[in-house]
Amino acid sequence: MKITRRELLISAGSLLAYSQLGSLANAEVNIAAQPGDQEMIASMCKALYPHDRFPMSIYMDVAAGAIKKGNADTGAKISFRAGLDGLKINKFDKMNFKKQTKYLKSIENTPFFGLVRGHTVVALYDHKEVHKIFGYQGASFDKGGYKDGEYNDLTWLPEPRIEEHPDLTAFLDDSSPKKYASLKIKKTF
Amino acid sequence: MKIDKKEKAVVVIGSGPGGAQVAYQLTKQGIPVVLLEAGRRIMKEEYVNEEWPAFSQMAWLDKRTMSGNARIVKDFNGLPTWLVKAVGGTATHWAGATPRFLDYEWKTKSTYGSVDGATLMDWPIDGKEMKPYYVKAEDAIGSTHRGGRPPLPANNNYKVFAEGAKRNGYKFYATGPYGTNAAPYDGRPASIQDGFNFQGDKNGSKWNPNVSEIPKALATGKLELRTNSQAVQITTDSSGKADGVLYMDTKTKALHRQEAKVICVAGNSIETPRLFLMSASSRFPNGLANSSDQVGRNYMRHLTGSVYATFDKPVNFFRGETMAGFLADEVKHNPKRGFVGGYYLETLALGPSFLGAFLDPGKWGKKFADMMDGYQNMAGMWIVGEDMPQANNRITLGSAKDAFGLPAPNVHFDDHPNDTAMRNHAYEKGEAIYKAVGATQTYRVTPYPHTHNLGSMRMSAKAKDGVVDKWGRCHDVKNLFVSDGSVMTTGAACNPTLTITALAIRQGEYLAGQLKKGNV
Repeated sequence: MKITRRELLISAGSLLAYSQLGSLANAEVNIAAQPGDQEMIASMCKALYPHDRFPMSIYMDVAAGAIKKGNADTGAKISFRAGLDGLKINKFDKMNFKKQTKYLKSIENTPFFGLVRGHTVVALYDHKEVHKIFGYQGASFDKGGYKDGEYNDLTWLPEPRIEEHPDLTAFLDDSSPKKYASLKIKKTF
Repeated sequence: MKIDKKEKAVVVIGSGPGGAQVAYQLTKQGIPVVLLEAGRRIMKEEYVNEEWPAFSQMAWLDKRTMSGNARIVKDFNGLPTWLVKAVGGTATHWAGATPRFLDYEWKTKSTYGSVDGATLMDWPIDGKEMKPYYVKAEDAIGSTHRGGRPPLPANNNYKVFAEGAKRNGYKFYATGPYGTNAAPYDGRPASIQDGFNFQGDKNGSKWNPNVSEIPKALATGKLELRTNSQAVQITTDSSGKADGVLYMDTKTKALHRQEAKVICVAGNSIETPRLFLMSASSRFPNGLANSSDQVGRNYMRHLTGSVYATFDKPVNFFRGETMAGFLADEVKHNPKRGFVGGYYLETLALGPSFLGAFLDPGKWGKKFADMMDGYQNMAGMWIVGEDMPQANNRITLGSAKDAFGLPAPNVHFDDHPNDTAMRNHAYEKGEAIYKAVGATQTYRVTPYPHTHNLGSMRMSAKAKDGVVDKWGRCHDVKNLFVSDGSVMTTGAACNPTLTITALAIRQGEYLAGQLKKGNV
């Protein structure tokens, strides 16, 4: 079974395309190199994954990565150029959010959409600024891990039991094939 | 130790929980072993506590394709499972839950009866026989809550999970059993609650063969560990016995041959049958040891799914141990629920990077963004249950080629109606847990590529029903063994690593005895 580039980007793209980030070839004709192009792609990234809390600079970073991928090879270039052209003609960045969503729906099956969406969902939520805004602290190993009073600082619920229930062993041990075979199957699927 | 390629050696293929354990059991008894590992050795200092860079560092990314009706086929077509290509195998990436099979889970055909479309079969071994090996496996791994080892403390994600479970009337929740040290054990330190189990654990508190069986086996002086050495074919002599392994240096692409007197294959449920199928010959036209036509069939991946929920107060579920929360109340077979078998619920946390990729693959728009926006107030759990073996859920050699020109494996996977019924039940129960403690929104997350891969080289009493016998020895080729989770006749509800370890200890002890008696 052959995976096309487009399928890869739409589906497994989020995972596999990541590992290919480094393999971009030099290009003679660059797509999306005009003034305002990066802003246009950024407006698409924001319409795809809208977060009021994120400054536009984050979406601009993401757009820069999408443009780099849109120049990765000739196939990417021609579809990216066509997709960007569509955004410009329709003045995508001037539309309200509802109209933007409707427009994106209409191009959902294009390679351009697949490339931008697949890139954005990875690059946006992997962005260090986004992690900060989300309150995600990430690695703690260099600080000796999360401390007592930090990994367990939730106080709006009572402290739970951490040991197993005293009846657990009996519950798990009571599992003879003969006994459980006597339960009748009520077929519902 | 250096073993000559012309010497008829004991060769183990794959250094994950199965292969490394067998190699350790043999070398411990003075038997020299060549251990071939397709990946390199990544030491804990090299692990990266960032999700995508760690993925790139260790994931098995060789070409694979998928077919079938399961949603994962569409969502992640090139990545059916999330396995690791490195010394220690996928245990480098495992979270650490170590439950055992229940007694009837060794005998599902006798217990559940016939289920349409499923190829249930009883294992040729039972719970009583496996009990002492489970104790040895728990001691090897250092499972918490077992053998006098203390439990891990509660982290925030567990607090939400446990209180929600309690309010639903559940009793059997705890922070384990879990394969990461709560107190120093076996030369490894206690957890510092730094998370990132899926990225290898820089602190070395988590068990995996790379920090346990491999260094112990090397210390015997009887092991030759050959890294970047990917087995591509097993050869046989005129009598039909396995006599060598062709393997490729993945860096130079040069092909080598190691002469062998015994071969143990532990490549996982995709690579092990692939190797057997690539070893077809005039004597074994359908693939090595495949007179039953069972090589590659009955591939299982466990019934999985996740439930995430957001609350109006912070949880910070990413802090601390990734999966140290465990609920066993729904594990028992109870056909009144509308399906056979059972499932566990286990806490699970992802960083924003992975959550974006997995929360709802392919989705975009405001609803998705709002889900992600609740990150700090989010709790999460994973569902793991018994999935039905099906003859056509199988590994075959596809028409696509990998980077070495070898046929890429195709993984065919259809959901069985029992899997779907169980998943829906588990989604409801998971949501009920979070609603009981005030969830403002709950999300049902579809299965994504994970580590569990079982079956495809199933163990059977009779040669016509499976590939290997009760010792993991091929019915058709007497000096060829399978030492990984692919031997699983059925998969039970529990996370598989403890059982793979127990089976490998048992096989290693048996094989050492047979070698000493000259029976192999």
